[in-house]
Amino acid sequence: MVRRTFLKNTGLLSGGLLLSNQLSALQPTGEPVKIAVIGCGDRGTGIMNILNGMPDQFRITSVCDVLDFRLAAAQKMSKTGAFKTYTDYRKLLDDKEVDAVIVAVPLYLHYPVAADVIRSGKHLYLEKTMTYTIEQALELVNLMHGRNNQVLQVGHQYRYSPLYYRVKEMINKGYLGKVTQVDCRWDRNGNWRRPVPDPSLERAINWRMYKEYSGGLAAELLSHQIDFINWAFDTHPQEFFATGGIDVFKDGRETSDNIQVMLRYPDLGLIGNFGAMCGNAHDGYLFKIKGTLGTVSLLTDQGMFYPEKKLLSEKGTVDGVTGATRIVWNKEGGTPILPEATKDGTWYAFNDFYQKILRKELPDSNVFTGARTAISVHLANQALYSKKICSWDNAYKIG
Amino acid sequence: MKKNLWPVACFFVLLLCAFGRQERFQRFELNGYAQGTTYSIVYYAADSFISQRQTDSLLQRFDRSVSLYQPNSLICRFNRSAKGIRIDEPFKVLITRALQISRATGGLVDPTVKPLVDAWGFGVLKPGHDPGKEEVKVLLLNVGADKIGLRGDFLFKTKPGVQLDLNGIAQGYSVDLLASLLEQHHIQNYLVELGGELRVKGSKAGNELFKIGIEGISGDDLDPAPMRKVIEPGNGAITTSGNYRKHHASGGKQISHLMNPLTGYPVQNEMISVTVYAKDAITADGYDNGFMAMGLKRTMAFLSKQKDMGAYIVYRKPDGVITDTVTAFFKGYQKQN
Repeated sequence: MVRRTFLKNTGLLSGGLLLSNQLSALQPTGEPVKIAVIGCGDRGTGIMNILNGMPDQFRITSVCDVLDFRLAAAQKMSKTGAFKTYTDYRKLLDDKEVDAVIVAVPLYLHYPVAADVIRSGKHLYLEKTMTYTIEQALELVNLMHGRNNQVLQVGHQYRYSPLYYRVKEMINKGYLGKVTQVDCRWDRNGNWRRPVPDPSLERAINWRMYKEYSGGLAAELLSHQIDFINWAFDTHPQEFFATGGIDVFKDGRETSDNIQVMLRYPDLGLIGNFGAMCGNAHDGYLFKIKGTLGTVSLLTDQGMFYPEKKLLSEKGTVDGVTGATRIVWNKEGGTPILPEATKDGTWYAFNDFYQKILRKELPDSNVFTGARTAISVHLANQALYSKKICSWDNAYKIG
Repeated sequence: MKKNLWPVACFFVLLLCAFGRQERFQRFELNGYAQGTTYSIVYYAADSFISQRQTDSLLQRFDRSVSLYQPNSLICRFNRSAKGIRIDEPFKVLITRALQISRATGGLVDPTVKPLVDAWGFGVLKPGHDPGKEEVKVLLLNVGADKIGLRGDFLFKTKPGVQLDLNGIAQGYSVDLLASLLEQHHIQNYLVELGGELRVKGSKAGNELFKIGIEGISGDDLDPAPMRKVIEPGNGAITTSGNYRKHHASGGKQISHLMNPLTGYPVQNEMISVTVYAKDAITADGYDNGFMAMGLKRTMAFLSKQKDMGAYIVYRKPDGVITDTVTAFFKGYQKQN
């Protein structure tokens, strides 16, 4: 299966790159996709904001949330006429007008809501991480079987940025040499809580703090980087080591606010270090991919390439180089991977979602890759909570 | 007998001088940033006569004259003006030379090319689309070396829409300015490089000539191709113009950043890159874009008449094969390289 997704993805790679560069010039052929949002929290409304800037591709028609104040806030974002509002997503799914649905609900609800959306026949943009458990991931793969005209895209949006495409290409072309270590962080200095207007809503709003609903920092943040490594190297981790605890905010939360995950990819001879915490913001987002020929260092919207110093010893044979608009290395010996910062990853992801709906094609971040990443995240959390080394079970049948 | 000894004696004296000189000389290196790129200076001298503060401030002064990236530079003020402005000495040198080269190339190099550069998406601000036929016609009304001129220190324009872009020649001249700074401090052995444009003089320790690599044309900065050639030009300037790196795609075609000021369209011919040798970098840099626009045949014919300029040219043959050629006065080139 891994091989198959790889082939599909590389086929899409060049197309995707062209698309993202030329989308502004591409005239949409039909009507905008009528889209509904289930879950109008930070992420749901964040996506709505971006969709409001893409009127040729999407028109938001309905919104759904169990919390009234969130529905009211979402309603205020309407640009063209009032949204239909729902508190029960199943009623929204009966609406024949809706072509596609965005699911941005707490992680533990991903599976039941997504499964219902799939059964309704509508296209689905499902926020990451795809599912809370391994069984749910495999079940969604089963559910999508044979639904070739229905698009399910998982919200690992960084995959769609031209920057991350370029990095994947650099890795695949061997610019980095043999990659043996990956360093990732996603840190903050803050309690990662949302304001709660009424104490009774604590668990509904701060669901990320509770194991019953959330996979914690690993699922909410590190899953992006774990997913990118899975995609870029067409692999998944085999062994999972993790440690962590509630070290900074002892405020009744259940999920760790300080975690470190080590993943082993034995087929590649690769170690992945993934860390996140709430007690220091200096590194913030950090993503380094280290090979024998060079290092890629990424932010979400820009990246640098640092060739290994010994490879820059070209100066030893010549004293100067003449060329057209020469490459510029910065003081640390790096050069930008792309000349300009990219837009928000969600913008690229939804551009592609639109194209895939139009062409009825498999997205790059699909149910198969989403399952691989969801299983990886779940095993990382299993290792964290059980304090044991966990392994990928080759019996997981993805596709 | 006595008479015969003189040449031998002279030889020994010179030899001693040479050794003496090399023993006293040390290698110094300066590296910095200017004009959106890097520069590096290597020189051999008895002491560190030049500091980076001097080179940085020289380049900053130069930017205040002719950088399009500084809204208050003289060039930007000229571009915004209706009739023209008073300019400083470096700007005068640059515009005078640019106009000479424009005449010599039949207008294929033109300091007033800015409206075209901007419209085709290679200026400071990027437009959303490529210009159409009518748009190009309108743009060309403001392009042409005959639309500007110098009256003393006053650089005038005949129409308010006339705008200058000296990026094709300014880098070369700034390399010359750095070289003059070194020579004012009696440094006679140096290599100055800024953004791939170079000036060299003298030699390294042990009388070895400076080696200059001509970059490969893969255009992939992150996976650079090996040097195409290594040359030892001795004294003079080497600059390169090429379309293998800076271009963008439009309607399935690659659009070069080099404009043909006569047609208003980006240059499209067999040329991939031209590396020019001349006495100074203002000349080499001033001509290299023009040769790109001239194409292979005209460039070869043009250079066959020049005694102090030469070029190494990489181009695509009609069958698609990439090949190269060199003209007579391209210095320091060895065929077996």
